[in-house]
Amino acid sequence: MRVPVSWLRDYVAVDMPLPELADRLSISVAEVEGVLHRGVPNEDGNLGLFRVGRVVEAGKHPSADRLQLCQVDVGEGDVRQIVCGAWNFGAGAAVAVALPGAVLPDGRKLESTKLRGELSNGMILAEDEIELGVDHAGIMLLPDEWEPGTPLADKLALTEDILLVESTGNRPDLLSVYGIAREVAALYGLELAPPPGNDPTRSGGDKSLDLRVDDFDGCPRYVGRLFCDVAIGPSPAWLRTRLSDAGMRPITNVVDVTNYVMLALGNPLHAFDYATLAESRIVVRRAKKGEELRTLDGELRKLDPDDLLIADAKRSIALAGIMGGEETEITEATTDVLLEAANFDAYTIFRTSERLRLRTEGSNRWEKGVDPYLAPVAATMATELIVELAGARWVGHGDVQEQLPERTAIRYRPERADELIGIETSSEEQHALLRRLEFDVKDAEVIAPTWRARDVTREVDVVEEIARFRMDQVPFTYPLRREMFGRLTRNQRFQRRVEEFLSGVGFSEVYTASLVERDFDREALRLLEPISGELAVLRTTLLPSLVEAARRNAELGNERIDLFEIARVYLPSGGPLPTERIHVAGIAQGGFSRAKGVVEALAEALEFEAPFRAEPHALFHPSRSAATTGGAVGELHPSLLEGEWCGFELFVDELAAAAHEPVQFREIGAYPAVHQDIAVVVDAGVRAAELLAAARKAAGPDLREARFLSDYRDPPIPAGKKSIAFSLTFQSAERTLTDEDAAELRNRIVSALEQAFEARLRT
Amino acid sequence: MDWEKYESTALDSFADAGTREELTTAHTAALGRKSELKTALREVRDRRTGMTLNAIRVRLEEAFTAREGELERADLDERLSDDAFDVTVPGDEIPVGQLHPTTQVRRLIEDTFLGLGYEIRYDREVETVEYNFDKLAFEPTHPSRSPRATFFLDDDTVLRTETSPSQIHSMEGKPPPIYMVSIGRCYRRDAIDATHYPIFHQFEGLAVDRGLTLADLKGTLLHVMRALFGEDRRVRFRTHFFPFTEPSMEPDVSCGVCGGEGCRTCRYSGWLEMGGSGMVDSRVFQNVGLDPEQWSGFAFGVGIERVTQLRHGMAEIRPLWSPDLRALRQF
Ligand SMILES: [Zn+2]
Repeated sequence: MRVPVSWLRDYVAVDMPLPELADRLSISVAEVEGVLHRGVPNEDGNLGLFRVGRVVEAGKHPSADRLQLCQVDVGEGDVRQIVCGAWNFGAGAAVAVALPGAVLPDGRKLESTKLRGELSNGMILAEDEIELGVDHAGIMLLPDEWEPGTPLADKLALTEDILLVESTGNRPDLLSVYGIAREVAALYGLELAPPPGNDPTRSGGDKSLDLRVDDFDGCPRYVGRLFCDVAIGPSPAWLRTRLSDAGMRPITNVVDVTNYVMLALGNPLHAFDYATLAESRIVVRRAKKGEELRTLDGELRKLDPDDLLIADAKRSIALAGIMGGEETEITEATTDVLLEAANFDAYTIFRTSERLRLRTEGSNRWEKGVDPYLAPVAATMATELIVELAGARWVGHGDVQEQLPERTAIRYRPERADELIGIETSSEEQHALLRRLEFDVKDAEVIAPTWRARDVTREVDVVEEIARFRMDQVPFTYPLRREMFGRLTRNQRFQRRVEEFLSGVGFSEVYTASLVERDFDREALRLLEPISGELAVLRTTLLPSLVEAARRNAELGNERIDLFEIARVYLPSGGPLPTERIHVAGIAQGGFSRAKGVVEALAEALEFEAPFRAEPHALFHPSRSAATTGGAVGELHPSLLEGEWCGFELFVDELAAAAHEPVQFREIGAYPAVHQDIAVVVDAGVRAAELLAAARKAAGPDLREARFLSDYRDPPIPAGKKSIAFSLTFQSAERTLTDEDAAELRNRIVSALEQAFEARLRT
Repeated sequence: MDWEKYESTALDSFADAGTREELTTAHTAALGRKSELKTALREVRDRRTGMTLNAIRVRLEEAFTAREGELERADLDERLSDDAFDVTVPGDEIPVGQLHPTTQVRRLIEDTFLGLGYEIRYDREVETVEYNFDKLAFEPTHPSRSPRATFFLDDDTVLRTETSPSQIHSMEGKPPPIYMVSIGRCYRRDAIDATHYPIFHQFEGLAVDRGLTLADLKGTLLHVMRALFGEDRRVRFRTHFFPFTEPSMEPDVSCGVCGGEGCRTCRYSGWLEMGGSGMVDSRVFQNVGLDPEQWSGFAFGVGIERVTQLRHGMAEIRPLWSPDLRALRQF
């Protein structure tokens, strides 16, 4: 909310420096996001150089057709000659004059000058030149009764400071200037003016109003006031300026009054053209099925039976609390006005505003819960202004209400505040503070004022009132601990090691969106209302996002594109919530063996077994794709990315579960090892892993290690065959192996391979 | 014969030898078959003199061998020397990867809280409305419940809008005391711009114990903010409103760019908003079956991307969600 400081001063004597006020409000009330300045600079007596002037004489400039030569009385005895380019005035007009030396809002400093040979000793101002409005059609005409020479600042808000206050959803009372004034008064111990507005006397009879509330849940209270002989027209300058300083556009006097009172007190109002109401009746009810309403913004709204409406005897005329209807709108021709000062239920307004995606200044206040006792106060303030500004007669009043909520007493122990806040505040001080906020305090009970009744219902809510006023004095302490349990879980430690391993072997970690355009899994969860097609589905796999990340880097011309990500995937579970798992995935430049090498090294570093078997995968090359512990490894399908790429995706918890931790130490053995290499020729379809497994089985424990060396398929190896070479390490735990022992082990391996795979030893 | 002098003269002659030839000559003179020492050793008849002379011989032989090694090394160095060798040519290229800045900050946060004796939690991101809103005492009219603010999967399921559901999970999981911090992705229906992305990370702390106070919350967050931003930072709290805390406050940390004087980064206020915090609301305690008269607690939530941006001087959030290696390799 934008709070003009001059308006705030109507209710409380603000004389502290504004930055200090802004800080204290921020800490104890609501954040002040900034202080704006509007209008002419208020320093070095600048304001005194702006005066009311009376044009004594006006005529054409002798040597310029477009200019007027004016003699203006600015209260100095002698008149001043001023050259002016506007023609919307003549002799006798009251105008706003800036004298030489005056500084305008844009920083321009006026000087006496000669214009086409004639002295111009000042400037007659248009609205926009001093930021009172946006009008530049002509100069600003002032009321005739203003005395020449009067400082303009006495009559108009030439200068204004505006606090930008961002209040929280629990404080609808702070969406009003008066509400903020109340807090300022409490903060500084200042006096708060009584709520603005006094009912004028009713003139011209006491018409009874036909006000019917069918739904007190939605509308606990409806105050209606009728005005006749209303002269619709523009508002006076002070009102237009205040509205625009507060961020609202001035419209016409009656509408401006409803907005002004809303900003002043926080109770939104509405005005109907009374002549348009069928049978002069107001009915507050829920919408009927299929009912429609054209709102002020020209939209035809389809209504729902949950929506609360204002209707007349025949049709709906307003969307209660949110927006009026087009057909009953105030126009230039309106003479009779029905003012609505009601109270609407927060949730009802919220639901309709939400469903129609229609948020207004009114709905914004209602949905936070407006004080039901505020409606008559707002009606009074508006009545006084309508009578004063639109020459209207107030002729009718009605107030329909259900039993309004009782103010409930809250049991309050001042020591509870000390326990929760961690600083002592005497009960006298607490009570004094609460009273300044207009709480009723007696003995062990406090009663919140009606405008805080929704927000303050429990003892702890009262504690908060104390806490926010003492916030800066609360010390910085630590909890006293009796139990300690801070540590990473096994899986958390494992995840850190995965991160470290992959970054250590040259992979760059990326974060990609968990939401994707589409997923391989047709059952993947989809958002009801995504913000875009690209962020619509919860991914069940990370790799496609990494393919995109790699593609992007390739397009950018980056080199050595090895990327990994650790993030959740969301697997449809059949139940209401998906199964979430933390996956690690990587993409790298290179073929199948690069990715496999990374995963094998990961397995070796983190001590888990990773057997591989061929298994197809949607993203991988049809035959260069394998399943392994916790996931899959493969060469990227060549249709996906240009060049040779590979990737892997593994379920971290499954790796952690497979990991041997802590590692169990194995004795190295005291007897020397014998190394031998062999190569066998087998059918090309035989898997290297099967050969190694068979070799291990045949040789028994004395084969300490069997390591794959090469796969050779060129001549002289016949087509359809391949030569697989491996290195063998024999070592016994009991004795030194002789050459004969080694030859014997080797022969056992060779004959086992011959039998199982028709392998032929290559010599 | 003055054998002491003999020895020192011999040692000097080895040291003075600048080439292998000179050293050989010196060796022959001091230790050769015809040298005075060898001759004396052959002729000696008493045991004591014999031992003394032999010790001198051993020491001289050692000194000779050491000097011989030095000269050999000097010869080798001479042959190896190459003035044209360029040490400024870059070394072998060792692949260097890196953890994402978000991960680095995540770990810093985790380590800070581990130091304070907190547990670390990673909880689910797809949540029920019950855990994301209801049990956290969100009013039915709270704007976050709107599908304009929150991603819904169906009427009862959302992408968590903050890490706060972890508060409920942890309090339902075990009896107090609880000191935990939950870290992970959250989702809000924000349009993508320089400082917003619909996916972001948060850390959420919760402490539940006997006698915890708002002052304890202030102290804890001061410690954490200083761990994240530096020991010279100040922290202030502004009153605020959150459904699940009462009283509620927003912590601000003093701006590191201007030192609190006011600058563009802090929008000329000298303070940077860091998130939300407060004392656990008694409604939340009741929702998990804890007695608010017996237990008190505090909670706070802070955006990790914001911390990362401030630590690393990043004006925009975009680089944190970009795969561009030119950005990532800076970390
Ligand atoms: Zn700053």
